[in-house]
Parts: sequence; C-alpha cells; structure tokens
Amino acid sequence: MNTEFLDYEGPEEPELKIPEGWESRAPEGWEWQTLWEAVETGDHIYTDERVRESIEMGIDPRVILDDGLFPGFDLQADRFSAMVIFIPEMLITARAMKAGLALIRPLLAAQAEKPIGTFVIGTVLGDMHDIGQSIVTIMLENAGFNVINLGTDVHPDKFIETALNEKADLVGFSALLSTTVYYQKVTIEEFQNAGHREKVKILIGGAPTSPEWAEECGADGWGKDAVEAVKLALRLVETSREAWA
Amino acid sequence: MSDRISVTFVSTSGQHADKVVQVPRDLTILDAARYAGINIEATCGVRGRCRSCRVKILKGAIPPPSVQDTVQLGHDEVLEGFRLSCQTRMLDDTTVAPMPPKAEEGHKILEAHDSMLDTDEFHLDSGITKISVTAKAPVEEHHQTSDVEEILSTIPDLAHHKVPVQCMRKIPPILRKENGKLTVTRFNGRIIDVEAGDTTDKLYGFAFDIGTTSLVGTLLDLRTGEQLATAGGVNAQAVYGGDLMSRIAYAQFDEKKLTTLRAKVINQVNQYIRECCEEAGVDCEHVYKIVIVGNSCMHHIFLGIDVSYLGLAPYAPVVRENLVFPATDLPLKAAPNAQVCMLPIIAGFVGADTVACILATRIHESAEIRTLVDIGTNGEVVMGSRDRLTACSAPAGPALEGAQIRDGMRGAIGAIEKVEVNDDFSCLTIGDVPAIGICGSGLIDAAAKMIDASVMDRNGNFRKHDVEQLSPAVQERLVLSENGSREFMLVREEDSGKSRRIGITQGDVRQLQLAKSAIYSGIRMLQSVMNISDDEIQLLMLCGGFGNYINIQSAKTIRLLPDLENERIAYVGNAALLGAQMALLSESERNNAYEITQNIEHVALAARPDFQDIFVDSMAFKGASFPVSSKSNRQRRQRRRERQLV
Repeated sequence: MNTEFLDYEGPEEPELKIPEGWESRAPEGWEWQTLWEAVETGDHIYTDERVRESIEMGIDPRVILDDGLFPGFDLQADRFSAMVIFIPEMLITARAMKAGLALIRPLLAAQAEKPIGTFVIGTVLGDMHDIGQSIVTIMLENAGFNVINLGTDVHPDKFIETALNEKADLVGFSALLSTTVYYQKVTIEEFQNAGHREKVKILIGGAPTSPEWAEECGADGWGKDAVEAVKLALRLVETSREAWA
Repeated sequence: MSDRISVTFVSTSGQHADKVVQVPRDLTILDAARYAGINIEATCGVRGRCRSCRVKILKGAIPPPSVQDTVQLGHDEVLEGFRLSCQTRMLDDTTVAPMPPKAEEGHKILEAHDSMLDTDEFHLDSGITKISVTAKAPVEEHHQTSDVEEILSTIPDLAHHKVPVQCMRKIPPILRKENGKLTVTRFNGRIIDVEAGDTTDKLYGFAFDIGTTSLVGTLLDLRTGEQLATAGGVNAQAVYGGDLMSRIAYAQFDEKKLTTLRAKVINQVNQYIRECCEEAGVDCEHVYKIVIVGNSCMHHIFLGIDVSYLGLAPYAPVVRENLVFPATDLPLKAAPNAQVCMLPIIAGFVGADTVACILATRIHESAEIRTLVDIGTNGEVVMGSRDRLTACSAPAGPALEGAQIRDGMRGAIGAIEKVEVNDDFSCLTIGDVPAIGICGSGLIDAAAKMIDASVMDRNGNFRKHDVEQLSPAVQERLVLSENGSREFMLVREEDSGKSRRIGITQGDVRQLQLAKSAIYSGIRMLQSVMNISDDEIQLLMLCGGFGNYINIQSAKTIRLLPDLENERIAYVGNAALLGAQMALLSESERNNAYEITQNIEHVALAARPDFQDIFVDSMAFKGASFPVSSKSNRQRRQRRRERQLV
C-alpha cells in the first residue's frame, strides 16, 4: 500500500483558501460555504441564486466577489494548474463564476471601482482555436482586468487598433498550431512598426509555444497555462510603460 | 577561436563510415547532421518535445543540458552525455553518435497486403491501351509523307492526332527496325508512347499513398489488375517534423525548404518504383500510369506547390481538382509520357487520401448510413450515404503516436500494445520483450482498463478515495512520479526493458483526452449536422494504419468511438491505397473521385457554434466520476459544515 500516494499534500492537492476574517464582513449567521462549493462544482444556478441573496442582504459587492465567489474558483484554478482537474471541469466552474460576475460587475462599476488594467486578448491570424483564450479571459476578468476579447483569427492591425482605442496596458495572443505561432512574431513586429511596442506589455501562449519562443519572438512573457498567465499579467501590469498619447 | 568547428558523426549501426563536416559554430547538432547528409528524425519538428533526435557526445566539450534535454532524456542520460540534437549547439570540435531511442526501431508500417483489390468484381479500364501495328518508313520523295503520318495511318480507331515530342524523338530508328513493327500506347485515346516491336503484353502502373508518416506503393499489371510488387517505409520527410503541422511549419514561407521536402518524396517514390520493377522483372519504361493519393499537404509538396496557407485559416488548398501530368514533369522514373494522376482534394485538411478511402469503401454508393473514421495525427471523419455525404477533419495530434506522452513511443518492438486486468494489471508488448514504452493502442487499452478497474473516473482523474477497496496488487500501482504528480505504474522498474518503470501520468491522461476528443467530437458533429442518431449508423469503418491495432471495446470505453455493437464496427485496412489502386485500374473510378469531391459537404468544426460544447463533452470517458477532493480536504469540509450547524 503506497501510503505516500494517499497522504500526499504536494502541489497537486490544493486546498480551499478561506478568506481571513470573512465573518466580520458578513451579516450575523451568514455562511459562504455553499457558494464556495457551488462555484467549485460548477453549479451556476445556485451561484446565481446565492449571489442575488447576498446582494439583497446588502453585502458589499467587493466582499461578495472576494469572500463568496473567489475561494471556490481559486481552488479549481489551482487544481487545473496541477492537472488534478481538466478543461471540462474548469469550464463549468468558469460558467458558474460568470453567472455570479454578471450580477456583481454592474454594482462594482456603479461604485466607480477601477479595473487594474486593460487587457486585449485574441487568437492570432490564421488560427481558429478558442477554448484556451476563453478560459484565460474569464480568469483575467476575475482578477479585475477589463478584458477585450477579439476572438479568433485576429489580424495584427485589429490588435493594434483595439490597443490604441482602449489604451490597453497588456496585449495577449495565443497560437495553437505550429503553423500559426509565426503570427505571434509578426503581430509583435507590427506593434513595433506602428510605434506602439513600448506602450504595452505583450504576453503569448498556446500549446506549441515555449519560453524560448517567447524570447525569440520578442514577447514580454509566456504563460504555461491560464493560471500562470494571470499571475504574469498581474506582475506585468505593475511595470512601467510608455504612456498612450 | 575559429568560426567553424569540425563535427564527426560516428555510425552506431555500422551503416556508414564516419562522416566529418566543417560547420559554423552556431549550428545545432541536428543541422550539422543534415550538412553531413545524415538522417536524424526530429519527430516533434525541432522543438525539443520528443526523444527521436537523441545523440551521444563521445568526444569534445559537452554543452550544458537545456531544460528540454533534462525533461526528455532524464537526469541519468544527460550525465552520460546524451543530448537532443535539435537543441544542442556545439562548443568546439565534437564527435557525436546518433542514438535514436530503441522505440523507433521496427516501426510497424501498413503494408500493401492489407489492401487487396478483388479484381473479379472489378471492371478493368485503366485508360491505357496498346496496339501493335506495322508501319512503313516514307518512300516517296515527290509526294512526301512523314514518319508520324505513316505511323498514324496504321492505327484503325484514331481519334487524336497529336504525338508528343518525346515520341517523335524516338521514332526514326524504331520505324526502320524490325520491319516497322511497333507498338503504340494511348491514354484515353491520346498517344503517349511509341516503341519498337510488339510489347502489348507489357502494361503496368503504380498506386502510391503518400502519408505524413509512411509512404506505400504498389506495382500493378494494368491488363489483369494483379499486384506484382510492393514497397513501403517511413516517409523520408519525417526528419523535418513528424506531424503534418510541423511539416507545413518547416516549409512555410521558405521555397528552399519546400524544395528539400519535395526532393525527399520524389526520390523516395522513384526508389520504390525502381525496387518494385526490379522485384517483378518489369522495365520502368513500361509503367504508363501512376496514381498518387495523399493529404493536401503531401499532395502540394509532391507537386512543389507552396503549403504556407494550408496551415493558416481558412486552411484552403491551392488546387482541388483531378490533375494529370507527364512523368517527365515531376520527374518520375517511368515511361516519359506516363500519366501521373493526382486524385482530387476535398479541403485543406480533408485530402485526396480521404477521397480514395471513400472510393474504396463505397460509402458514396451506400443505401444505408455509414461512417468512415481515419484515426491519426490528422484524422478525418466521413459520414452519410449515397443521398448525402459530409466530411470533417478530426486532428488527434501526435499523442496516439506516442508524442507528448511520458513513456510514449510508436508501435515498435517493446511497446506496450495491450493491457489486461483481472486481480492485477498485465501488459503485452510488441515482440513480447520487456516493455520500453507504450504506443497509442496500448495507451487506449490502458486507459480503458483503468476505468474498468475503477482506478480512473470519467473525467480522467485518478482515484484518491477509498483506495483500500482496490485489490492490493492494483493499489501498489498507484505511485507518485518524480515531479510529484500521481502516476499509474504499468510495468515495474525491474520488469521493464529500461532502467525505470513504465507508467501513465495524470498529464498523459490529459493528452489522451484531448486526442480522443478530437475524433469523438468529429463524429458527434457530423451526426449533429446530419441529424443522425447512433442507431442509424449501420456501419462504422476504421481505416488507416492505426485502426488495425486498437481494441474496439477499449476505444468505446474511453469514448474514442461511439458505443455501437461490435458487429457494426469494422476495420477496412489501408483504404487510401486501395482507392488509389481502383483509380489506377479504372478511369471511371478516377472520375468518380472527382464527383465525390463535388458533392460532399465539408464541415469546418471550429466555425460551428456548438463545437466547443461537443468538444468539451467529448473529453469525458465512460463510467462514473470520483469526488475531486482528497480525503483530507473532504474531512476538513465536513468539520466546517458541522461547525456551522452548531
């Protein structure tokens, strides 16, 4: 009997991180446990219900987000990162999270809460793959980014135009085919040619890419998966960039 | 320090003498090998993602290992001086021995005998006809005629008067030899050859299936349909990338590299023509028709057509229709005007090979609904009947060929190909030797048996709860791998043919899920487009090299194939080659191929709104789901719940 297999508490056995002092931010007798579990198991109907109740109770939307929605989502994100769960489970959790966010976001906007940065994301020209970047989009939104998702098969000019109009802080593009990683390089060169390269930080990702490729094509960073991409984005958004005119 | 360094390649198999090349310092060992004319396979496309290009540095400074070296080769091999040649740049003069992993030896290639054409029921009409005539050299000087006119005048059913210039060049001596007895060869009525004597009994052709991985050709007697000889092997282009996309990426926007790939395939086809003709005692000059099938990329490279845009959305081919060229244009080693026929293409990722499979399986003539599945790196699914036919590309990626699987390898000697489970698991290897890795069919079988034994759930998660309910022997197999993730051990270190155990990691399962989901969702999507239920599919046909080796029951358990009764699933062999042979022996079949491409509906999966849902759903296996959280987490949660109740 391999007891180490069962007792193993390493990186692949992430735990639910219970927000410290959550009781003090919630009404008397309130519980978040069921919402954490609903997000974890991807129960978007219960998530919707419970978030509505929370709003009606007058709980601050920021508190609902941080104490109610994030713990279950972060747990799944950590598990995804450790390959304990896979794309299907991550997507249903993301769907539940989305249901909650849809209710919270207008309230946050009304409080004039500023996003931590604007992130333009898409799949490069010639590539129709969608799933990876849609997971990254939800995770970035959860982390507080204003995310503009341009979809798939995005022309370099479209990335540049959107970055310019939205005064983007970060731009990220994925490529899922060995034949389209080429356009990650091209897109970065086009940012250079347009004179906007120093105004944004550029992240790349996708199955055929690697840290070496990120360096070769001139990107500022590479994420192994969605979780790493968000960590990287949080770090890069703090670094200095040229200002948009 | 000199800019150039000297690299010596030592042959481990003794196949060639040591080769020394002087190369610029910044080249990789793999590039240097190509300079030296030594073939080292880089299956992953020079990305450091597989072990196929492994070398051992025998003399000279050993460069520090890259991350990929350590990941792919492991600590021990790195210390012994093994490196991935695609990732390693030499520091100084170096002596290197190419050492591909044992995995690549004895790779099973689909042979032509897997596809014998039943010529009894087949109407032979290759379009090539020979007629023996006796012509006189011109005698009149006053009312002059020509050699050509004299020959044409002897042909009774002459429809086309054009004679190719290559024939004219041959005519003067042969017309004046053997009393003007000569043989005229025509293709669909057009003259393609003139030769001395009566050679009407010598009429041959070739059918070739150019696959991304393997290349197979057969020599057929066009009068009888009899198969005379066959040749096959790994596609020589594989050294420039094992899978289709890396092949395209290699040649993308680089004419020289495209030419390199083209030269490889033309040389290989010519070599097989020579070998087959020698074996059958046939003169290459009597080969008059050659039919070529292959996916769109192989088709384009064969013709030297730019493949850059095949790899980019919307993945459009440069040309789709039936094409015919004289052999000299390519050039192929046959009669100078032998007709090289390229079967047509359906779409960028549904090529002439699929058209040939349709021809061979008669799905386009079927009254009942059938499905044709080619399981491969770049697989395809065809579904329908004579009323309506749809096709889509279903690219499984290279995982089923062992790439990106920790202990993955191709179906070669020492690969686990079958897994059985009773109280414990047992593995069968190809060649019945100690296991050195696991091939695609073994991976499918292992996953299915892990589900049967309740070691893994439908979401691909290893069992972590109530493990004590498993048999003790199976419990022993649940281990932790070096990097701390869970692993299911298939073969113990002491029983393996390697110095470490063989197992399946959680990451391997994820790769398998992605691969099989591509195929399964392809089938599901076509069912959705055509509104067909499982019950309506009367026959599911598996073709291609891989289909032969998979266990149908296991394929259903992991939801690679839909859950049809075994009687409704059949393996049909190398249908692509069979279809090529049919087009070789029958012009009406070759025309049918064109009709098929005009009538079939190509479904682009990614463009359909329901694809993502179907793809994600298709990642699941059969069976139940386990709770995700481990015991400790569940206990913690239980305690919390109890506290709340209080």
